Amino acid sequence: MIAGAWRHRLTARVLPYLLIAPTLVLVLMFNVLPAVNTVNDSLYKPARGLNAAGKPPQFVRLQNFADILDDSHYMGQRFLRSFRNTLIFALATVLVAVPLGLLLALLLNRPQQLLGVWRFAVFYPALLPLIGAASIWSFIFSDSIGLANAVLRSLGQPGLNWLGDRNLVLLSVIIVNIWKQAGYFMIFFLAGLQNIARELYEAAALDGAGGFQQFLWLTLPLLRRTLLFVSVISFTFAFQTVEQLQALGEGGPADSANLLLYLIFQNIAERRNWGYVNAMTLVLIAVVLTFTLGNFLLFERSENDR
Amino acid sequence: MIAICQRTLVLSLLLSLFIGAAYAQDDIVIDFYFPSATANDAEGIFQRYADRFHEENPGISVNPVFTGSYTDTRNTILTELQGGGAGPDVAVMLSIDLYSFAEEGYITPAQAFIDAMDGGEAYASDFFPALMANSTDADGNIWSIPFQRSTPILYYNADLLAEAGYDSPPTNNAELVEIAQALTTDDRHGLLVPVAGGFPIWMYQSFAIAFGHNIVGDDPAEVYFNTPEAVAAVEFVRSLGTDLGVGPAGGAAWGDTPVAFLAGQAGMIYHTTGNLTRILSGADFEVGVWYLPSGPAGEDGTGYGSPTGGGNLYIFDDGSKSQAELDAIWKWVTFLSSPAIQADWGATTGYIAANASAWETEPLASLSMEHPQYLVARDQLQHADKEFSSYGTITIQGIINGTLESILTGESADAQAAMDAAQAQIDGILADYR
Repeated sequence: MIAGAWRHRLTARVLPYLLIAPTLVLVLMFNVLPAVNTVNDSLYKPARGLNAAGKPPQFVRLQNFADILDDSHYMGQRFLRSFRNTLIFALATVLVAVPLGLLLALLLNRPQQLLGVWRFAVFYPALLPLIGAASIWSFIFSDSIGLANAVLRSLGQPGLNWLGDRNLVLLSVIIVNIWKQAGYFMIFFLAGLQNIARELYEAAALDGAGGFQQFLWLTLPLLRRTLLFVSVISFTFAFQTVEQLQALGEGGPADSANLLLYLIFQNIAERRNWGYVNAMTLVLIAVVLTFTLGNFLLFERSENDR
Repeated sequence: MIAICQRTLVLSLLLSLFIGAAYAQDDIVIDFYFPSATANDAEGIFQRYADRFHEENPGISVNPVFTGSYTDTRNTILTELQGGGAGPDVAVMLSIDLYSFAEEGYITPAQAFIDAMDGGEAYASDFFPALMANSTDADGNIWSIPFQRSTPILYYNADLLAEAGYDSPPTNNAELVEIAQALTTDDRHGLLVPVAGGFPIWMYQSFAIAFGHNIVGDDPAEVYFNTPEAVAAVEFVRSLGTDLGVGPAGGAAWGDTPVAFLAGQAGMIYHTTGNLTRILSGADFEVGVWYLPSGPAGEDGTGYGSPTGGGNLYIFDDGSKSQAELDAIWKWVTFLSSPAIQADWGATTGYIAANASAWETEPLASLSMEHPQYLVARDQLQHADKEFSSYGTITIQGIINGTLESILTGESADAQAAMDAAQAQIDGILADYR
């Protein structure tokens, strides 16, 4: 009897660890260990020159970081430009795609004909594989045969070089991203909206609040959690963007639309750049982690306020 | 459900036994990695070659492995080798990948095999010299063997040229501009040169070569990116979209170019020979093909110049392979580069068969009689030069592409200054090798 209780206690203590062990091992192997390696490797420059494979790397302290921040260095130029682009890309996504998703959710939260069809249509881009969707957009943006320019020309405007003009490419990539994400974000807002009790609106209406006032003082505060969540994921998504660029001009011309993770991906192939790749990866991790952590803390605090 | 799983398991076990048995009869298995850059059924073709090779060489099997694009193939091989894996025995990679892999010590020169074989000299000299330029190092050692090679060529809409009063294609860049301007209308570009979209260096090299100085020579530790010829060449390409007004500012995109040509929205285009078959079969007008007239007229009145492109056969050995394995590998390489296979490969895919005698071999001999357009690419090789390749190829190519794009899009108005800055960065990298 006692042995049975003891065994039961042991099982209760050990079992949880056994259960999380597979996940833990995978996370340690594929997330934590590589991240630690990245910190270490970012302090080294790989051997360069002939037969480099056999030579040890050189310890350079923070030189890799100095190089990627130096705008006369070949990697610095590319990193600084891509980092700036990534910030613009992330902000544009948060500031446009998130409100757009909310607006679509508000419109599609009312009873109307063909509601399912509308919702599906808006959500549909989120279901498409990104690389396929981006390839379709690359046709739309094509200079001579593209739909975008056909529309512009039919309105008597000159066509634009969407993927060739350095001032336009980033905008083109942002448009595709907004189109892709807004419908996805809508789903979260729709779920959030349907959690808000009808009675609250009825009470507000009785107090004389109009539609806009209801939105401002009722809907928005009650959607705060969803809003924060969606903003965080849209920001971190932006830092993970790779596929669109593969189909939409590979970050060019001259990195005018290049983003951080894609730049890292472009530079893995050559041993000489591994130090820079590690340094850039650390910067990427640091930004995403800071932002996620900041939002997490804010989010937690607002939870405790209630 | 469980029954299905069991059945699958048993089947796959049986299958692996069969595969094991098939290999066990042979002494040597060659792992052959290949990319596909075109819409051809490369997997089917290579399986056919592998079967034929096995028939002719009992005791040796070839295991063809499709590894994606050129970039995927390079990255797959690098990842396997850097992680301590075996990697391929033979692979098709870009001809310009030579120094990336030679630097790492992963590949072994073909020269030793050529020296040891009967008739090695005749074998090597049968390849077109321009296609060997990227195979040979500064000391004249041959590392890789040409396999699926291409060059850019000029495609022109012969009907439009005839309408405008021209019965032959341009032979230098002054004529190129004159004809392009004559063909340009509100809804048609006179000339599209695909330098937009990430990889301007290849097309640009045509101009640099035709202006008189390639950006690369025999020594992989030297790059010539800020010579007067290199600067004049990029300024000319930029002017096509600005002052001369025969194409879009910043240049055309790679994929759009043949589509616009077939749709009659471009009178002439620069594009790869790899698209010859598709363009000939897709056009509802007479398609003319000619050498790239990219440079100013020389003494004979012409200004031709072109880089080569495409992939070569590389032999992987870090010194651990036995002589029997190496002999088998070399047999496979010579089989793929034999006139018979090159003639078949060229006719099936549209790549330029790499050796002279392949062009007298069927089915390529009759195909080129029927469609003389195929001969243009071959004959242009006399005006062709090395594709860009150096130590640190990928990084330096990135610098050159970025600089060309910033000049072509007008971001860097002063081409000379931008190219001087790029040359300084490139020299910084190459200093490790000098």
